[in-house]
Amino acid sequence: MLEIKNLHASVDGKEILRGINLTVNAGEVHAIMGPNGAGKSTLSNVLAGRDGYEITQGEVIYKDENLLDLEAEERAQRGVFLAFQYPVEIPGVSNIYLLKAALNAVRKHQGLDELDAIDFLTLVRSKLELVKMDEEFLHRGVNEGFSGGEKKRNEILQMALLEPSLAILDETDSGLDIDALRTVSEGVNALRSDDRSIVMITHYQRLLDYIVPDFVHVLSDGQIVKSGDKELAKELEKTGYSWVNEDA
Amino acid sequence: MKMPSKKTLTDLATPFANVTADLGQHVAWLKSLRLKSLVQFNKQGLPSNKHEDWKYTSLWSLSQQEFTHKAEESDVSAEQCDQLALLNDNYRVVIIDGIFSAQLSQLDNLQDGLTINPLSTEEGLAKAQPDLGRQIDITKAGFNALNTLLMNEGFVITVDSGVQIEKTIEVIVINTGTTPNLATHLRNVIVMADNSQATVIEHYIGLTDNVSLTNVVTEAVLATNAELNHYKLQQESSNAFHIATLAAKQGSKSQWKTNNISLGAKLARNDVHSQLLGQQSHVVMDGLYLANNEQHIDNHTRIDHTVANTTSEELYKGVLDDKSHAVFNGKVIVHKDAQKTDANQQNQNLLISRGCEIDTKPEMEIYADDVKCAHGSTVGQINEDHLFFLRARGLDEVSARSLLTYAFAVDVLNRIPSEEIRQALSAVIEQRLPQGGV
Ligand SMILES: Nc1ncnc2c1ncn2[C@@H]1O[C@H](COP(=O)(O)OP(=O)(O)OP(=O)(O)O)[C@@H](O)[C@H]1O
Ligand SMILES: [Mg+2]
Repeated sequence: MLEIKNLHASVDGKEILRGINLTVNAGEVHAIMGPNGAGKSTLSNVLAGRDGYEITQGEVIYKDENLLDLEAEERAQRGVFLAFQYPVEIPGVSNIYLLKAALNAVRKHQGLDELDAIDFLTLVRSKLELVKMDEEFLHRGVNEGFSGGEKKRNEILQMALLEPSLAILDETDSGLDIDALRTVSEGVNALRSDDRSIVMITHYQRLLDYIVPDFVHVLSDGQIVKSGDKELAKELEKTGYSWVNEDA
Repeated sequence: MKMPSKKTLTDLATPFANVTADLGQHVAWLKSLRLKSLVQFNKQGLPSNKHEDWKYTSLWSLSQQEFTHKAEESDVSAEQCDQLALLNDNYRVVIIDGIFSAQLSQLDNLQDGLTINPLSTEEGLAKAQPDLGRQIDITKAGFNALNTLLMNEGFVITVDSGVQIEKTIEVIVINTGTTPNLATHLRNVIVMADNSQATVIEHYIGLTDNVSLTNVVTEAVLATNAELNHYKLQQESSNAFHIATLAAKQGSKSQWKTNNISLGAKLARNDVHSQLLGQQSHVVMDGLYLANNEQHIDNHTRIDHTVANTTSEELYKGVLDDKSHAVFNGKVIVHKDAQKTDANQQNQNLLISRGCEIDTKPEMEIYADDVKCAHGSTVGQINEDHLFFLRARGLDEVSARSLLTYAFAVDVLNRIPSEEIRQALSAVIEQRLPQGGV
C-alpha cells in the first residue's frame, strides 16, 4: 500500500524529516508516537501533499505510484485521507456541500456517476449514525463553531463517507472525552478491512486499547527510532521517550 | 452637437447642457426644479478627482464619450424578459432603453393600497411630487443635478398606511445596446406610509457590450414604523457607465434593509445614503462588489444618525480579480443629539489577483458621547489552510478557490429575510465566479 523510503523534508531550509523509512501493507494499522515537535504532523502533511515542504531525498510509493508527484487533490481522489490535527473552520461552506463535493471528486476519479440527492442523503445519514452526529451539523459551515471534539468527529464522518484506502489520523483522539473516544474508535474500526490501511498518530496508549495496532513506531527528531508491536506503546506509557533516543 | 475629439474634464458638462428632457414641459413645479438644477449643474459640472468624494474614481473615460439621449426602437420579447428577471410571479416594472414598457410590465391586479406608476405619466409625476428631490442635494452632487435636469423616466411606488405588500416588486431596467452611447437618467421614488411594508428589487441589465450611461437616482421615504426591503442588482454591460444614488429618509421605528450588488459595468459608482430622522429607526446597508478585468467599482455610503436610539448595520464585501479597482468609502455620522446610537460598519475585501487594487476608508464621525460604534476594514487573500483542506478532500484547486470565493461573497446575503430572494441572488453570484459556478 505505502512505502516510504529514506524520506527527507525541510521547511525554509530547516530539515524536519531526516530519513523516514516505513512500509504499511494493505489491511495493517500502524501507530506512530513520539515527542512534540518530532515531525509527525510534518510527515502527515507531506503525505497528503501540502505545499511548502521541500523534499530533499527519498521517495514514497503508494499503490505503485510515486505519491510525491501527485497534487494534493489527486492523492485524495486516489484514496489518501488525512484527518487533521487541527481541523480548519470554513464559514460559508456548508458541511453537506463539502461532503458532496468530496465524495463526487472521488467517485469521478473512479469513473462513477454522481450520487443523486436522495441516495447521497441516505448514505450521509448512515455515516452520521456511525459517528453519532446530529443531522443539524450538516447544514452548518464546515467546523464553524464546532467544539474541539465535534471537529474531530467531523473528520471521521468525512473519512467514513469517503472510505479511503489509506487513512492518516493525526491525533484524532486528542481532545476527545471518553464517550467520544469510543465513538470515534468504533468509526475507525468499522473501516478496518483487508484492503485498507490506517496510520494513527497519537500521544496516548489509551487509544490503542480501542484500535489495536499491528505495529507501533516511535518517531523522534525526524526519524523512526524504534518499532515494535502494541507492547511498545505500553512501555512508552510507563517510561517516556528518553530511553528510546539513547537506544537509537 | 459636434464635440472636439479630445475633451478635458472641465468640458464634461457641455454635452449634457444642450439636451432637454421632454417630460413635464408644462408642469410648473417640475419646470422650476429643472431650472434650479440647470443652474446647479452649470456651476458644478461633473466632479473631478479634486473633489474629495471622487478622489479615487476618474471620470476621464466617461468624458471621452459622446452620449445620445434619443433611444431607437428596440425589441425585447416577453420570454427574454422572463429569463432576465430575478424572480417570477411578482409585480414587474420594465424599462427598456430608458422607456417604460407597459407590455412587458406586470402591474395588473395590484394589491389595494399599492400604486406603481412610471414617472413619465401624470399619475407618476403627481405621486412623486411631494417627495421628489427631497432626499438628495443637487447643490452638492453634480450627477444629481444632472439627473434632475434630464430625468425622463423611472418608477414611482406608494404604499398606503398599514398595508403590507405580499408580492415583491421587481423593476427591470434593460439597456439593449440598440442605440450605441445611449444615456438614460432615471428617477425612482418609493413612498412608504406609516406601518406599511414592501420589498423592491432594482435590477439593471445590459444586453450587449455597447457603451451606455445609466444615471439613476432612487429616493425612498419611510414613515413611522414602515419597513422597506430594497435590493439592487447591477449587471450592466462591460462598457457601461453606471452612476447611482440611493437615498432614504427614515421616520421613527422604520426599517430600511438594503443590499447593493454590483457585478457589471466598466465604471460603477453608488452613493447610498440613509438619514435616520426618527427614534428607533434602523438601517441595514449591505453590499457586494465583484470586479474583474479592468472594472472600476466605487461605493460611497453614508448613514446619518440624527436623533437618539437609532441603529445601523453595514457590511460591504468585495472580491477583486485581474486589474480591477474598487473603492469603498463608508461614512457613519453620529450627530450630537444621537445618544444611544448603535452603529456597526465593516468592509471586507478578497483579492484574487496581484494586479487589482482597493481603496477602503471606513469613517465614523461621532459627536455624541453615549454611543456604541464599531467599524473596520480588511483586505485579504484566499486562506491557504482552507485551500489545502479542500484539496485534501479531493477538490481540484480551481473549484476549491471558487468555492472559497463564493463562500466569502454570499455571506452578504445573510440579512435578506426572503429565502427566495437570497437563493436567486446567490445563484447570480455563483455564475459570476471565475469558474462559472461551484
Ligand atoms: N512551516 C514551518 N516552519 C517552520 N518550522 C516548522 C514548520 N512546520 C513545522 N515546523 C517545525 O517542525 C517541527 C516538527 O513539527 P510537527 O508539527 O511535525 O511536530 P509533531 O511531531 O506533529 O508535534 P506535536 O506532537 O506537537 O503535534 C517543529 O519543530 C516545528 O516547529
Ligand atoms: Mg502534530
